Amino acid sequence: MKPSAFEYHRPETVEEAVTLLTDLSEAELMAGNQSLSIVMANRLADPDHIIDINAIDELSHIDTTTDTVDVGALTRHRDIANSPVLKENYAVLPEAAGQIAGPTVRNRGTIGGSIGEADPAGNYPCVLIAMDGELELASTDGRRTVDADDYFIAYMMTEIEETELITAARFPREPFPASRTGMTFLGQKRAAQTWPTLSVAGAVRVDNPESTDPVVEEARIGLANAADIPLRIESVETAIEGEPLGDAALENAGDIAYEQVSPAGEMHADETYKRELAREYTKRAFRTAYDRAVA
Amino acid sequence: MSMDDVSAAPDRPTQEISLTVNGEDVTAEIEPRVKLSDFLRNYVDLNGVRVGCEHGVCGACTVSFDGDLIKSCMMYAVQTDGGEIVTVEGLGEDGSLHPIQEAFHEEHALQCGFCTSGFVMSTKDLLEEDPDPSQEKMEAHLSSNICRCTGYQNIYDAVRTAATKMEEDD
Repeated sequence: MKPSAFEYHRPETVEEAVTLLTDLSEAELMAGNQSLSIVMANRLADPDHIIDINAIDELSHIDTTTDTVDVGALTRHRDIANSPVLKENYAVLPEAAGQIAGPTVRNRGTIGGSIGEADPAGNYPCVLIAMDGELELASTDGRRTVDADDYFIAYMMTEIEETELITAARFPREPFPASRTGMTFLGQKRAAQTWPTLSVAGAVRVDNPESTDPVVEEARIGLANAADIPLRIESVETAIEGEPLGDAALENAGDIAYEQVSPAGEMHADETYKRELAREYTKRAFRTAYDRAVA
Repeated sequence: MSMDDVSAAPDRPTQEISLTVNGEDVTAEIEPRVKLSDFLRNYVDLNGVRVGCEHGVCGACTVSFDGDLIKSCMMYAVQTDGGEIVTVEGLGEDGSLHPIQEAFHEEHALQCGFCTSGFVMSTKDLLEEDPDPSQEKMEAHLSSNICRCTGYQNIYDAVRTAATKMEEDD
Protein backbone atom coordinates (compact mmCIF):
# COMPACT_ATOMS: atom_id res chain seq x y z
CA MET A 1 0.00 0.00 0.00
CA LYS A 2 2.90 2.35 -0.63
CA PRO A 3 3.00 4.31 -3.87
CA SER A 4 5.93 3.95 -6.24
CA ALA A 5 8.53 6.70 -6.44
CA PHE A 6 7.71 9.99 -8.12
CA GLU A 7 9.07 13.50 -8.46
CA TYR A 8 7.08 16.21 -6.76
CA HIS A 9 6.26 19.59 -8.26
CA ARG A 10 4.36 22.40 -6.59
CA PRO A 11 3.55 25.18 -9.08
CA GLU A 12 2.01 28.43 -7.82
CA THR A 13 0.25 29.53 -11.00
CA VAL A 14 -1.99 27.85 -13.56
CA GLU A 15 0.50 28.74 -16.31
CA GLU A 16 3.33 27.01 -14.44
CA ALA A 17 1.14 23.96 -13.84
CA VAL A 18 0.09 23.49 -17.47
CA THR A 19 3.67 24.02 -18.66
CA LEU A 20 4.80 21.20 -16.34
CA LEU A 21 1.89 19.06 -17.52
CA THR A 22 2.94 19.57 -21.14
CA ASP A 23 6.70 19.14 -20.60
CA LEU A 24 6.74 16.15 -18.25
CA SER A 25 5.86 12.67 -19.39
CA GLU A 26 3.80 10.37 -17.15
CA ALA A 27 2.62 13.27 -14.97
CA GLU A 28 -0.56 13.44 -12.90
CA LEU A 29 -2.23 16.47 -11.35
CA MET A 30 -2.93 16.23 -7.63
CA ALA A 31 -5.62 18.27 -5.87
CA GLY A 32 -7.24 16.89 -2.69
CA ASN A 33 -5.66 13.46 -3.24
CA GLN A 34 -8.72 11.63 -1.87
CA SER A 35 -9.00 9.39 -4.94
CA LEU A 36 -5.55 9.58 -6.55
CA SER A 37 -3.86 8.46 -3.33
CA ILE A 38 -5.99 5.31 -3.34
CA VAL A 39 -5.11 4.29 -6.89
CA MET A 40 -1.46 5.12 -6.22
CA ALA A 41 -1.45 3.15 -2.95
CA ASN A 42 -2.82 0.18 -4.86
CA ARG A 43 -0.27 0.78 -7.65
CA LEU A 44 -3.05 1.06 -10.20
CA ALA A 45 -1.32 4.33 -11.10
CA ASP A 46 2.41 4.94 -10.85
CA PRO A 47 3.09 8.38 -12.31
CA ASP A 48 6.69 9.56 -12.62
CA HIS A 49 5.66 13.11 -11.70
CA ILE A 50 3.07 14.55 -9.38
CA ILE A 51 2.02 18.14 -10.01
CA ASP A 52 0.48 19.36 -6.76
CA ILE A 53 -1.90 22.24 -7.52
CA ASN A 54 -2.72 23.03 -3.87
CA ALA A 55 -0.55 26.18 -3.89
CA ILE A 56 -2.42 27.79 -6.81
CA ASP A 57 -4.54 30.31 -4.90
CA GLU A 58 -6.45 31.38 -8.01
CA LEU A 59 -8.20 28.00 -8.06
CA SER A 60 -9.89 28.37 -4.64
CA HIS A 61 -12.93 30.59 -4.84
CA ILE A 62 -16.71 30.75 -4.85
CA ASP A 63 -17.85 33.77 -6.89
CA THR A 64 -21.53 34.47 -7.30
CA THR A 65 -22.75 37.03 -9.83
CA THR A 66 -26.29 37.66 -11.05
CA ASP A 67 -25.67 35.25 -13.94
CA THR A 68 -23.33 32.59 -12.66
CA VAL A 69 -22.03 30.63 -9.70
CA ASP A 70 -18.31 30.19 -10.40
CA VAL A 71 -16.50 27.64 -8.22
CA GLY A 72 -12.72 27.30 -8.47
CA ALA A 73 -11.49 23.77 -9.13
CA LEU A 74 -9.52 23.58 -5.87
CA THR A 75 -12.47 24.57 -3.68
CA ARG A 76 -12.90 21.93 -0.96
CA HIS A 77 -16.14 20.03 -0.37
CA ARG A 78 -16.28 21.51 3.14
CA ASP A 79 -16.14 25.10 1.85
CA ILE A 80 -18.89 24.41 -0.67
CA ALA A 81 -21.01 22.63 1.96
CA ASN A 82 -20.65 25.55 4.41
CA SER A 83 -20.95 28.46 1.97
CA PRO A 84 -23.78 30.80 3.15
CA VAL A 85 -24.10 32.37 -0.30
CA LEU A 86 -24.52 28.95 -1.96
CA LYS A 87 -26.98 27.75 0.70
CA GLU A 88 -29.03 30.85 -0.01
CA ASN A 89 -28.81 30.86 -3.82
CA TYR A 90 -27.80 27.42 -5.07
CA ALA A 91 -28.63 24.85 -2.41
CA VAL A 92 -28.03 21.85 -4.66
CA LEU A 93 -24.26 22.47 -4.50
CA PRO A 94 -23.77 22.63 -0.71
CA GLU A 95 -26.13 19.66 -0.27
CA ALA A 96 -24.19 17.62 -2.81
CA ALA A 97 -20.88 18.58 -1.17
CA GLY A 98 -22.08 17.84 2.37
CA GLN A 99 -23.05 14.28 1.42
CA ILE A 100 -19.59 13.30 0.21
CA ALA A 101 -17.90 10.76 2.54
CA GLY A 102 -16.93 11.97 6.03
CA PRO A 103 -15.38 15.20 7.38
CA THR A 104 -11.75 14.26 6.70
CA VAL A 105 -12.45 13.67 3.02
CA ARG A 106 -14.51 16.87 2.79
CA ASN A 107 -11.64 18.84 4.34
CA ARG A 108 -9.31 17.89 1.49
CA GLY A 109 -11.34 16.74 -1.52
CA THR A 110 -12.11 19.27 -4.27
CA ILE A 111 -14.83 19.89 -6.82
CA GLY A 112 -12.30 19.89 -9.67
CA GLY A 113 -10.95 16.54 -8.57
CA SER A 114 -14.41 15.01 -8.47
CA ILE A 115 -15.36 16.34 -11.89
CA GLY A 116 -11.97 15.36 -13.32
CA GLU A 117 -12.35 11.82 -11.99
CA ALA A 118 -15.85 11.80 -13.54
CA ASP A 119 -17.13 8.78 -11.67
CA PRO A 120 -20.77 8.38 -12.77
CA ALA A 121 -21.71 8.00 -9.08
CA GLY A 122 -20.06 11.33 -8.21
CA ASN A 123 -22.16 14.11 -6.72
CA TYR A 124 -20.87 17.18 -8.59
CA PRO A 125 -20.93 15.63 -12.09
CA CYS A 126 -24.63 14.98 -11.58
CA VAL A 127 -25.26 18.57 -10.44
CA LEU A 128 -23.22 19.95 -13.33
CA ILE A 129 -25.23 18.00 -15.89
CA ALA A 130 -28.61 18.78 -14.25
CA MET A 131 -27.96 22.51 -14.10
CA ASP A 132 -26.41 22.70 -17.58
CA GLY A 133 -23.09 23.97 -16.22
CA GLU A 134 -19.77 24.36 -17.95
CA LEU A 135 -16.10 23.81 -17.16
CA GLU A 136 -13.14 26.06 -17.78
CA LEU A 137 -10.05 24.14 -18.90
CA ALA A 138 -6.53 25.55 -19.12
CA SER A 139 -3.58 24.41 -21.22
CA THR A 140 -0.45 26.04 -22.65
CA ASP A 141 -2.70 27.14 -25.53
CA GLY A 142 -4.87 29.21 -23.18
CA ARG A 143 -8.31 28.53 -21.76
CA ARG A 144 -11.48 27.09 -23.20
CA THR A 145 -14.90 26.25 -21.87
CA VAL A 146 -16.73 22.96 -22.34
CA ASP A 147 -20.44 22.40 -21.71
CA ALA A 148 -21.30 19.68 -19.21
CA ASP A 149 -23.27 18.00 -21.95
CA ASP A 150 -20.13 17.60 -24.11
CA TYR A 151 -17.78 16.83 -21.23
CA PHE A 152 -18.93 13.40 -20.04
CA ILE A 153 -18.31 10.92 -22.85
CA ALA A 154 -18.34 7.41 -21.36
CA TYR A 155 -17.50 5.66 -18.09
CA MET A 156 -14.87 7.91 -16.47
CA MET A 157 -13.93 9.22 -19.90
CA THR A 158 -14.23 12.93 -20.56
CA GLU A 159 -13.51 15.65 -23.10
CA ILE A 160 -10.44 16.83 -21.13
CA GLU A 161 -7.06 16.40 -22.83
CA GLU A 162 -4.04 15.01 -20.98
CA THR A 163 -2.38 18.43 -21.07
CA GLU A 164 -5.38 20.28 -19.64
CA LEU A 165 -6.24 21.36 -16.11
CA ILE A 166 -9.76 22.12 -14.87
CA THR A 167 -9.71 25.65 -13.43
CA ALA A 168 -13.38 26.21 -12.58
CA ALA A 169 -16.90 24.83 -12.74
CA ARG A 170 -19.62 27.34 -13.63
CA PHE A 171 -23.31 26.96 -12.92
CA PRO A 172 -25.82 29.28 -14.63
CA ARG A 173 -28.31 30.97 -12.31
CA GLU A 174 -30.82 31.39 -15.14
CA PRO A 175 -33.53 30.22 -15.23
CA PHE A 176 -33.52 29.62 -11.47
CA PRO A 177 -33.90 32.87 -9.48
CA ALA A 178 -33.58 32.04 -5.76
CA SER A 179 -36.90 33.67 -4.85
CA ARG A 180 -38.97 31.25 -6.96
CA THR A 181 -36.72 28.20 -6.95
CA GLY A 182 -36.19 25.13 -4.81
CA MET A 183 -33.18 22.84 -5.18
CA THR A 184 -32.09 19.62 -3.52
CA PHE A 185 -29.64 16.76 -3.65
CA LEU A 186 -30.80 13.36 -2.38
CA GLY A 187 -29.45 9.88 -2.59
CA GLN A 188 -29.22 6.42 -1.14
CA LYS A 189 -25.91 5.63 0.49
CA ARG A 190 -25.33 2.52 2.59
CA ALA A 191 -22.60 4.06 4.75
CA ALA A 192 -20.83 7.39 5.00
CA GLN A 193 -17.73 6.27 3.15
CA THR A 194 -19.29 4.27 0.34
CA TRP A 195 -20.31 5.68 -3.01
CA PRO A 196 -24.06 6.31 -3.18
CA THR A 197 -26.08 3.57 -4.84
CA LEU A 198 -27.98 6.26 -6.71
CA SER A 199 -28.45 10.00 -6.24
CA VAL A 200 -30.49 12.77 -7.74
CA ALA A 201 -29.99 16.53 -8.16
CA GLY A 202 -33.29 18.38 -8.57
CA ALA A 203 -34.45 21.95 -9.16
CA VAL A 204 -37.91 23.43 -9.59
CA ARG A 205 -38.96 27.01 -10.45
CA VAL A 206 -42.56 28.06 -9.89
CA ASP A 207 -44.49 31.00 -11.38
CA ASN A 208 -45.52 32.57 -8.09
CA PRO A 209 -44.75 31.10 -4.66
CA GLU A 210 -47.51 33.25 -3.10
CA SER A 211 -50.35 31.87 -5.23
CA THR A 212 -52.65 29.11 -3.95
CA ASP A 213 -51.42 26.59 -6.50
CA PRO A 214 -47.97 27.59 -7.76
CA VAL A 215 -47.30 26.21 -11.23
CA VAL A 216 -44.03 24.45 -12.07
CA GLU A 217 -42.49 26.50 -14.86
CA GLU A 218 -39.15 24.76 -15.12
CA ALA A 219 -37.74 21.57 -13.63
CA ARG A 220 -34.35 19.89 -13.73
CA ILE A 221 -33.23 16.42 -12.83
CA GLY A 222 -29.78 14.86 -12.82
CA LEU A 223 -29.14 11.25 -11.84
CA ALA A 224 -25.86 9.80 -10.59
CA ASN A 225 -24.89 6.15 -10.96
CA ALA A 226 -27.95 5.56 -13.14
CA ALA A 227 -25.86 5.01 -16.30
CA ASP A 228 -22.18 5.04 -17.28
CA ILE A 229 -22.26 8.85 -17.28
CA PRO A 230 -24.30 11.32 -15.19
CA LEU A 231 -27.76 11.64 -16.75
CA ARG A 232 -30.13 14.51 -17.31
CA ILE A 233 -33.50 13.29 -18.56
CA GLU A 234 -35.55 16.10 -20.10
CA SER A 235 -38.73 14.02 -20.57
CA VAL A 236 -38.78 13.52 -16.77
CA GLU A 237 -38.56 17.29 -16.34
CA THR A 238 -41.38 18.11 -18.77
CA ALA A 239 -43.61 15.56 -17.03
CA ILE A 240 -44.12 17.97 -14.12
CA GLU A 241 -43.93 21.30 -15.97
CA GLY A 242 -46.93 23.52 -16.74
CA GLU A 243 -49.10 22.64 -13.75
CA PRO A 244 -49.03 22.69 -9.94
CA LEU A 245 -47.10 19.67 -8.63
CA GLY A 246 -49.56 16.81 -8.17
CA ASP A 247 -49.32 13.11 -7.45
CA ALA A 248 -50.23 12.08 -11.01
CA ALA A 249 -47.46 14.19 -12.54
CA LEU A 250 -44.97 12.90 -9.98
CA GLU A 251 -45.92 9.30 -10.70
CA ASN A 252 -45.53 9.95 -14.40
CA ALA A 253 -42.10 11.54 -13.88
CA GLY A 254 -41.05 8.56 -11.76
CA ASP A 255 -42.24 6.09 -14.40
CA ILE A 256 -40.25 7.86 -17.12
CA ALA A 257 -37.15 7.91 -14.91
CA TYR A 258 -37.58 4.16 -14.31
CA GLU A 259 -37.68 3.55 -18.07
CA GLN A 260 -35.00 6.00 -19.20
CA VAL A 261 -32.10 5.18 -16.87
CA SER A 262 -29.64 2.46 -17.84
CA PRO A 263 -27.97 1.40 -14.61
CA ALA A 264 -25.44 -1.38 -14.22
CA GLY A 265 -26.30 -4.00 -11.61
CA GLU A 266 -24.05 -4.13 -8.55
CA MET A 267 -23.49 -6.68 -5.80
CA HIS A 268 -25.98 -5.02 -3.45
CA ALA A 269 -28.26 -3.38 -6.01
CA ASP A 270 -29.39 -5.12 -9.18
CA GLU A 271 -30.53 -3.22 -12.24
CA THR A 272 -34.24 -3.32 -11.37
CA TYR A 273 -33.59 -2.12 -7.86
CA LYS A 274 -31.62 0.85 -9.20
CA ARG A 275 -34.46 1.66 -11.61
CA GLU A 276 -36.81 1.69 -8.60
CA LEU A 277 -34.40 4.01 -6.79
CA ALA A 278 -34.37 6.31 -9.82
CA ARG A 279 -38.17 6.42 -9.70
CA GLU A 280 -38.37 7.02 -5.95
CA TYR A 281 -35.59 9.61 -5.68
CA THR A 282 -36.85 11.52 -8.71
CA LYS A 283 -40.22 11.87 -6.97
CA ARG A 284 -38.64 12.82 -3.65
CA ALA A 285 -36.32 15.36 -5.27
CA PHE A 286 -39.12 17.08 -7.18
CA ARG A 287 -41.37 17.10 -4.09
CA THR A 288 -38.60 18.55 -1.90
CA ALA A 289 -37.56 21.14 -4.51
CA TYR A 290 -41.18 22.19 -5.09
CA ASP A 291 -41.90 22.52 -1.37
CA ARG A 292 -38.82 24.69 -1.01
CA ALA A 293 -39.74 26.82 -4.03
CA VAL A 294 -43.15 27.66 -2.60
CA ALA A 295 -42.01 28.05 1.03
CA MET B 1 14.03 -1.16 8.87
CA SER B 2 15.36 2.26 9.72
CA MET B 3 14.29 5.20 7.64
CA ASP B 4 17.92 6.08 6.97
CA ASP B 5 18.01 3.10 4.64
CA VAL B 6 15.05 4.40 2.69
CA SER B 7 16.37 7.94 2.27
CA ALA B 8 19.69 6.51 1.09
CA ALA B 9 18.05 4.55 -1.75
CA PRO B 10 19.87 5.29 -5.02
CA ASP B 11 18.36 7.32 -7.86
CA ARG B 12 15.45 8.51 -5.81
CA PRO B 13 15.31 12.25 -5.39
CA THR B 14 14.66 13.51 -1.88
CA GLN B 15 13.42 16.82 -0.67
CA GLU B 16 13.97 18.76 2.56
CA ILE B 17 10.89 19.71 4.54
CA SER B 18 10.45 21.77 7.72
CA LEU B 19 7.26 21.72 9.68
CA THR B 20 5.87 21.89 13.20
CA VAL B 21 4.67 18.68 14.83
CA ASN B 22 2.94 19.04 18.21
CA GLY B 23 4.66 22.41 18.62
CA GLU B 24 8.18 21.12 17.88
CA ASP B 25 10.14 22.10 14.78
CA VAL B 26 10.99 19.12 12.61
CA THR B 27 13.27 19.12 9.57
CA ALA B 28 13.85 16.03 7.44
CA GLU B 29 15.11 14.90 4.07
CA ILE B 30 12.54 12.59 2.53
CA GLU B 31 11.34 10.98 -0.65
CA PRO B 32 8.17 12.60 -2.04
CA ARG B 33 6.35 9.27 -1.95
CA VAL B 34 6.55 9.04 1.85
CA LYS B 35 3.05 9.36 3.23
CA LEU B 36 2.47 11.75 6.10
CA SER B 37 1.34 8.79 8.23
CA ASP B 38 4.63 6.93 7.67
CA PHE B 39 6.61 10.12 8.15
CA LEU B 40 5.02 10.78 11.55
CA ARG B 41 5.58 7.20 12.73
CA ASN B 42 9.00 6.51 11.30
CA TYR B 43 10.76 9.87 11.20
CA VAL B 44 9.14 11.64 14.14
CA ASP B 45 8.55 8.49 16.25
CA LEU B 46 4.90 9.29 16.91
CA ASN B 47 3.42 5.82 17.04
CA GLY B 48 0.03 7.10 18.16
CA VAL B 49 -0.55 7.64 14.45
CA ARG B 50 -1.84 4.23 13.38
CA VAL B 51 -1.44 2.82 9.92
CA GLY B 52 -4.45 0.64 9.16
CA CYS B 53 -5.87 0.40 5.66
CA GLU B 54 -3.46 2.90 4.07
CA HIS B 55 -6.04 4.02 1.55
CA GLY B 56 -8.38 6.37 3.32
CA VAL B 57 -11.02 4.04 4.71
CA CYS B 58 -10.29 3.27 8.36
CA GLY B 59 -9.37 6.66 9.85
CA ALA B 60 -6.78 5.23 12.25
CA CYS B 61 -4.18 7.71 10.92
CA THR B 62 -6.32 10.81 11.52
CA VAL B 63 -4.35 13.91 12.53
CA SER B 64 -4.77 17.65 12.27
CA PHE B 65 -2.99 19.60 9.49
CA ASP B 66 -3.09 23.40 9.73
CA GLY B 67 -6.19 23.02 11.90
CA ASP B 68 -8.03 20.65 9.53
CA LEU B 69 -8.83 17.05 10.43
CA ILE B 70 -7.26 14.81 7.77
CA LYS B 71 -6.30 11.22 7.03
CA SER B 72 -2.51 11.27 7.05
CA CYS B 73 -2.28 8.30 4.63
CA MET B 74 -3.87 10.53 1.98
CA MET B 75 -1.23 13.24 2.08
CA TYR B 76 2.42 13.04 1.22
CA ALA B 77 4.73 14.48 3.85
CA VAL B 78 6.27 16.87 1.27
CA GLN B 79 2.89 18.58 1.05
CA THR B 80 3.10 19.63 4.70
CA ASP B 81 6.32 21.66 4.30
CA GLY B 82 5.84 24.82 6.36
CA GLY B 83 2.69 23.44 7.96
CA GLU B 84 1.55 22.52 11.43
CA ILE B 85 0.62 18.99 12.48
CA VAL B 86 -1.03 17.87 15.70
CA THR B 87 -1.22 14.17 16.57
CA VAL B 88 -2.81 12.41 19.54
CA GLU B 89 0.51 12.81 21.37
CA GLY B 90 0.02 16.57 21.23
CA LEU B 91 -3.25 16.62 23.18
CA GLY B 92 -2.35 15.94 26.82
CA GLU B 93 -0.06 18.29 28.68
CA ASP B 94 2.94 17.10 30.70
CA GLY B 95 2.11 13.43 30.35
CA SER B 96 -1.44 13.78 31.66
CA LEU B 97 -4.48 12.70 29.69
CA HIS B 98 -6.64 15.15 27.74
CA PRO B 99 -10.30 15.16 28.95
CA ILE B 100 -11.27 13.30 25.75
CA GLN B 101 -8.70 10.60 26.49
CA GLU B 102 -9.94 10.38 30.10
CA ALA B 103 -13.49 10.01 28.83
CA PHE B 104 -12.52 7.19 26.43
CA HIS B 105 -10.82 5.46 29.37
CA GLU B 106 -13.74 5.89 31.76
CA GLU B 107 -16.43 4.84 29.28
CA HIS B 108 -14.43 1.84 28.03
CA ALA B 109 -14.65 3.30 24.53
CA LEU B 110 -12.02 0.92 23.20
CA GLN B 111 -11.17 -2.71 23.21
CA CYS B 112 -8.10 -3.42 21.08
CA GLY B 113 -7.33 0.31 20.92
CA PHE B 114 -6.06 0.40 17.36
CA CYS B 115 -8.63 2.95 16.18
CA THR B 116 -8.60 5.02 19.37
CA SER B 117 -6.15 7.77 18.51
CA GLY B 118 -8.06 8.47 15.30
CA PHE B 119 -11.36 8.60 17.16
CA VAL B 120 -9.86 10.88 19.81
CA MET B 121 -8.64 13.29 17.11
CA SER B 122 -12.04 13.28 15.39
CA THR B 123 -13.78 13.84 18.73
CA LYS B 124 -11.55 16.82 19.46
CA ASP B 125 -12.38 18.30 16.05
CA LEU B 126 -16.09 17.71 16.63
CA LEU B 127 -16.18 19.29 20.11
CA GLU B 128 -14.23 22.34 18.93
CA GLU B 129 -16.86 22.85 16.24
CA ASP B 130 -19.83 21.96 18.45
CA PRO B 131 -19.30 21.63 22.23
CA ASP B 132 -22.71 19.95 22.67
CA PRO B 133 -23.32 17.83 19.57
CA SER B 134 -26.54 15.92 18.86
CA GLN B 135 -26.37 12.15 18.39
CA GLU B 136 -26.83 12.66 14.64
CA LYS B 137 -24.02 15.21 14.43
CA MET B 138 -21.77 12.93 16.48
CA GLU B 139 -22.39 9.96 14.19
CA ALA B 140 -21.82 12.09 11.09
CA HIS B 141 -18.59 13.61 12.38
CA LEU B 142 -17.14 10.30 13.49
CA SER B 143 -18.09 8.60 10.21
CA SER B 144 -14.51 8.98 8.90
CA ASN B 145 -13.38 6.47 11.53
CA ILE B 146 -14.02 2.74 11.79
CA CYS B 147 -13.98 0.67 14.99
CA ARG B 148 -14.35 -3.12 14.73
CA CYS B 149 -14.56 -3.87 18.49
CA THR B 150 -16.90 -1.59 20.39
CA GLY B 151 -20.01 -1.31 18.25
CA TYR B 152 -19.58 2.47 18.69
CA GLN B 153 -22.01 2.92 21.59
CA ASN B 154 -19.30 3.33 24.21
CA ILE B 155 -17.50 5.73 21.90
CA TYR B 156 -20.61 7.92 21.69
CA ASP B 157 -20.88 7.73 25.50
CA ALA B 158 -17.27 8.86 25.73
CA VAL B 159 -17.90 11.81 23.42
CA ARG B 160 -20.79 12.93 25.63
CA THR B 161 -18.68 12.49 28.78
CA ALA B 162 -15.81 14.40 27.17
CA ALA B 163 -18.19 17.22 26.20
CA THR B 164 -19.31 17.50 29.83
CA LYS B 165 -15.74 17.43 31.15
CA MET B 166 -14.61 20.09 28.71
CA GLU B 167 -17.56 22.31 29.52
CA GLU B 168 -16.74 22.03 33.24
CA ASP B 169 -13.09 22.89 32.53
CA ASP B 170 -14.06 26.14 30.80
